[in-house]
Amino acid sequence: MIEGMLTGLSAALSWQGILYVMMGCLVGTFIGMLPGLGPITAIALMIPVTYSIDPSYGMILMAGVYYGAIFGGSTSSILINAPGVAGTVATSFDGYPLARKGQAGKALALAAYASFSGGTLAAVFLMVAAPLLAKVSLSFWSADYFALMVMGLTAIAAFSNRGQFLKAVMMTLLGIMLATVGIDPSSGAERFTFGSSDLLDGISFLLVAMSIFALSEALSGVLRPDQKKDVAAPSSKMGDLRLSREEIKDVAPVIGRSSILGFLIGILPGAGATIASFLAYATERNLARGEKKKQFGQGSLRGLAAPETANNAACTGSFVPLLTLGIPGSGTTAVMLGALIAYGLQPGPLLMHDNPDVFWAVIMSMYVGNVVLLFLNLPMIPYIAKTLALPKPLLTVLILFFSLIGVYLVSFNTFDLYLMVGFAVLSLILRQLNFPMAPLILGFILGGMLESNFRRAMMIADGSIAFLWERPLTLCITLVSLALLLVPLMDFLRGLKRPAPEAELSDNL
Amino acid sequence: MSVSKDRIGAFLFLVFSCAYGIYAWQIPLLPTELGISVSASTLPKIYAVVGVVVSLLALAGSFLQQATRPQGSSGALALGRTALLLVLMVLYALMLDPFGFLLATEVFLLAGYLLMGEYRPKVLFWASVPVVVVFWLIMTRVLGIYLAPGTLWS
Repeated sequence: MIEGMLTGLSAALSWQGILYVMMGCLVGTFIGMLPGLGPITAIALMIPVTYSIDPSYGMILMAGVYYGAIFGGSTSSILINAPGVAGTVATSFDGYPLARKGQAGKALALAAYASFSGGTLAAVFLMVAAPLLAKVSLSFWSADYFALMVMGLTAIAAFSNRGQFLKAVMMTLLGIMLATVGIDPSSGAERFTFGSSDLLDGISFLLVAMSIFALSEALSGVLRPDQKKDVAAPSSKMGDLRLSREEIKDVAPVIGRSSILGFLIGILPGAGATIASFLAYATERNLARGEKKKQFGQGSLRGLAAPETANNAACTGSFVPLLTLGIPGSGTTAVMLGALIAYGLQPGPLLMHDNPDVFWAVIMSMYVGNVVLLFLNLPMIPYIAKTLALPKPLLTVLILFFSLIGVYLVSFNTFDLYLMVGFAVLSLILRQLNFPMAPLILGFILGGMLESNFRRAMMIADGSIAFLWERPLTLCITLVSLALLLVPLMDFLRGLKRPAPEAELSDNL
Repeated sequence: MSVSKDRIGAFLFLVFSCAYGIYAWQIPLLPTELGISVSASTLPKIYAVVGVVVSLLALAGSFLQQATRPQGSSGALALGRTALLLVLMVLYALMLDPFGFLLATEVFLLAGYLLMGEYRPKVLFWASVPVVVVFWLIMTRVLGIYLAPGTLWS
């Protein structure tokens, strides 16, 4: 373990490691600030870049983009009340009132400190939890993996917003179905290729991710200009960036509590930064007494620190199931899982043993990433804020270009571009019908692994489905999956008489 | 009876699952797969059945649930602009091989900006020519990625 940590540290602290973390944090901050573009889009846009570099640095870059995007989302939440990321919606509850009071500088600085503390504390928890879980999961069989995949898939559907459960299940299924296109790796049979040689290798993960997130996100902004807040000029009054000693004393316990809460929620598959930030905000509001409670929603420092700490801690926590079990904890880590597979690496318990450089480099880079976010972004806040004024028409076309060319430069096949346009149209329609997109990419990525583990488990069990309940561990995971499915299903059946919810949060699970 | 978004979505998924199921049942079994419990078509068939069940459940739910308020439709201008951008992306894919990266991208960016309502010549120039040239230089000179000049000229 110590050796692995040192290997990771040397990769994270090498000049390339620091360069990629800085680059990731800056790009992520910029993209995260733009309303409508979340960490999934930011990471999807960076995937073509990571293909040409070492896997360790590729993951370091993507982790930097992830934190940067969350931090950038806070900046636009505070300055213009337009959260760039669903995970920073709760930040705007108290961040924007603070900015309106002329304390934008203090709000941004506190957001940076809270993000740093949440991310760093969660990285310590991750360093302890990940190897332990990886050790336990070494005893997993194919049957357990199959049950785990099912749990990962059901969890993301179960944690979807109210009224969206069946939609999330449908999207997960659609993703799994799309994953079956191409030559079956076990038998060599052609499936759903319609005689096209371009589909023999299946549909590329990058193509799907770019189309349903980057392309359709940009096109949604064009299609619904009235529903997306236009990028407004940031507040010119930044105010003082410093926090007083009393204010630090006041928010310190909040940061401690929210770090633990955010990390634990981040570990749960499906429950990402959004849920963590809302829960942390609600917890602090309930814990507050008297005058402090009244300040919530009016510019409370506690109300700003709680979601900011929790969302960063949750981002780090979501790496635990990804690195140790190979199951993404969120839509964003699902995209990262796809990138790892594209590198030829198999995330899971063996990753720590087979590729300790990648495993530990990611963990160690989190410390570097948090330091970079604090020391690089804090003095640059006034300048970064100015980029919010970038004209939207130019940005939309540039995103379309980078998405298309990103996929083309990997395959050099124009068929992929036509397929991208098709997927963009499909996801535009699905978005209009309020379907969440994150379960689709999760289903698409886990679909292949689900099938191969199922076939292996069936082969070991002589074609009997009894493998699902023969071992206590498999049975436990299966029961949890069933519970995760049944609870929202019952809720759905109970709620049939109630009017359907209108407003739904974005799909940045 | 109003047609809610949930109902349209569930119906579309039902149609898709049925079509997927039809193709799943046509996946040919290879000689090596004869006699084994799970073949290449087993899971696609299961997915299709689950897809049909889930979409029927969602469809039934949308009928039982009180109809949602009709939601405001997007403006015709926004819809037309989105459609034109999609057409432009197809045209870009068509242009890439014959015209090459530099020209095709330049045309794509300029046409895209114009479609999005940006007409200022200075902005059009600075947001397209340097972007394409710098990107091309990074790709070809720094990263060593070969970008074909276009079959029309070579």
